[in-house]
Amino acid sequence: MTFRDTVSLALRNLGEAKLRTSLTTLGVSIGIASLAGMVSLGVGLQDQFVERFTKSGLFDTITVTPGQDVPGGLATLARGRRGFGANRRSQRATASADATPLRSDLNDKTIDELAALEGVKEVYPNVRAPVEAKYGSDTEGVLAAGVPMTAKDTGAFQSIASGRFFSSDDAAECLVSLDMAKRIDDANPHGLVGKELILIHAAPNASSPPPPLAGGPLAANASRVEEPYRIVGIIERETGPFGGTAAVSGLMIPLGRAKAIAAATRALQQTFVPERVTERPYTALIVKVTHPQVVQDVEDQIKKKGFTAFSLNDALQGAKRGFIILDIVLSLIGSIALAVSSLGIMNTMVMSILERTREIGIMKAIGGSDGDIRRIFLIEASAIGFFGGVTGVLLGWIVGRIINFGANVYIQNQGGTPGNLFSLPFWLIGGAIGFSIAISLIAGSYPAARAARLDPIRALRHD
Amino acid sequence: MPTLLETRDLKKHYQMGASTVRALDGVSLTVEEGQFVALLGTSGSGKSTLLNLIAGLDRPTEGSLRIFERDLAQMSSEELSRHRRQNVGIIFQSFNLVSTMTARENITLAMMFAGVPRADRDAAAGGLLEAVGLGGRQDHRPRELSGGEQQRVAIARALSNKPHLLLADEPTGNLDSHTSRDILAILKNLNERDGKTIIMVTHDASLAESYADRTITLLDGVIIGERTATRA
Repeated sequence: MTFRDTVSLALRNLGEAKLRTSLTTLGVSIGIASLAGMVSLGVGLQDQFVERFTKSGLFDTITVTPGQDVPGGLATLARGRRGFGANRRSQRATASADATPLRSDLNDKTIDELAALEGVKEVYPNVRAPVEAKYGSDTEGVLAAGVPMTAKDTGAFQSIASGRFFSSDDAAECLVSLDMAKRIDDANPHGLVGKELILIHAAPNASSPPPPLAGGPLAANASRVEEPYRIVGIIERETGPFGGTAAVSGLMIPLGRAKAIAAATRALQQTFVPERVTERPYTALIVKVTHPQVVQDVEDQIKKKGFTAFSLNDALQGAKRGFIILDIVLSLIGSIALAVSSLGIMNTMVMSILERTREIGIMKAIGGSDGDIRRIFLIEASAIGFFGGVTGVLLGWIVGRIINFGANVYIQNQGGTPGNLFSLPFWLIGGAIGFSIAISLIAGSYPAARAARLDPIRALRHD
Repeated sequence: MPTLLETRDLKKHYQMGASTVRALDGVSLTVEEGQFVALLGTSGSGKSTLLNLIAGLDRPTEGSLRIFERDLAQMSSEELSRHRRQNVGIIFQSFNLVSTMTARENITLAMMFAGVPRADRDAAAGGLLEAVGLGGRQDHRPRELSGGEQQRVAIARALSNKPHLLLADEPTGNLDSHTSRDILAILKNLNERDGKTIIMVTHDASLAESYADRTITLLDGVIIGERTATRA
């Protein structure tokens, strides 16, 4: 008997008992719908989580500081994180430092070197330019953080309370935090957008040749540079040192501008204390990777080079483990309905064999082998599984859409951002249908074996 | 004529609770190709059991059963199903047609098991129904057919895989006498014209007399008599 004939005979048999077939199929589809719905919810929540947190810049960022025996850079950056695991982290840093000489050359060449690593999207220095901000007659000394243009719409810059992001890397524009804005104008902080802030920094005097004469007036070689910056936006929250793509401080200016100010300050320092000139114009580099999954790889590569590297990857891995557990729990809940419906398949098949005992006897008498009979019943079961799987996925999707709609209405009422709580990727559709067929085959294997074993003579006597 | 079937001391015992039922208790029999053999006996004589063994629907307890030089007692269940598919065509008292299938589908089902391609099946089924006089009723289901018509469909089905041996178990048991004669005429015709060997189980002595070449009488699982018809 050919496979095609077996399939057409099996489908024909299912068609003969339309009510029973459709009820069983409905049972399977409810089982699959609950399973697919639950997994879809798990995947959807994970997608939401990963998307939001990836956008936050927390998990695709590696902070590179000079290599040290003890992760002092790390300790500085991750102040307050010295508790549990601090020893472990430092051990790891030491272990990598044993193999390669430590490096501290955080300069533009290193930026190019790290940018060439596989999985790295971009590398930029963490620059904080010391400036004096002046508004009206008030002044305040502040470290202006350099923010790269790529930080737009990520991390702390996802939502700018009022105003907008910088227009270009060397625009004379700045963003201020709400806290700082309140310090400037407590009554109407948001009214600052569009106003000018004067940033003053020191620079070597271009006309006077270095080095200065010993004992000469230092001020003669330095000059005050005053530049007006337009306040283009106000950031509501100040996040920690890792928040966002660049360190957020009270005052943020385009990275290009910050680098120029920092270079000028450094040049001035060079003039005064040449012995302190180092290879490291930057205190830290920020490495952005293409995907959170490669963070660990890139981090290891950077450590191998002799730098200290730190990321929140561990935290993400932990969260992912949590999601795996959530997925398993949701799948188990969803599986209950499927287990019930697989018993339904078994019941239907056993009933159908009882009802068709004589027919099975006839088929055997006219030459059907045990294998032919078994295959007919297995294909009937898997056809129920297939149709149940397809309608189940469809049903799960529809129910998911409805719940998602309702949940989003609620979320929006609560002031949250709506999103897709249910995600139905292709692997889940294919997997659910495949699983449905597999479950049906398992449920159908006992009845099919029973049918195949039937004694033809007794089957023919059966009424 | 060459030997088609040969049994040696064939036994079939059933266990019924504590007692053993000796349905067949040592039957030795030879059937040659082209014969029309009637197995005559009362109910419980073992005639149907013998037919089921020849059909390969059941296995002997003891003895040998050779058909086309092969011993059915030694065959696997897969080989037995091939035997049923290729060597024999079975006709039952109660027709045993699949009620949900049309006349044509009942016939093509048998050919399906034999792996005949779809196009050939449909054409052959039409021809077979034509031959048994049911050309116009191909798409009728069993319940839309009379008993005689159903048995004709069963005969067409038995012939579908071109077996040498036709086995008929009380083929007219559920039919009136007029229809019975029609059915037996068809069988006789298949025997004489197409050279099919036929073994028919019946309890009707006169019927056996008038159609079969040989009449073998069984009682309590053993052969108690044999007559060969003398014909002009």
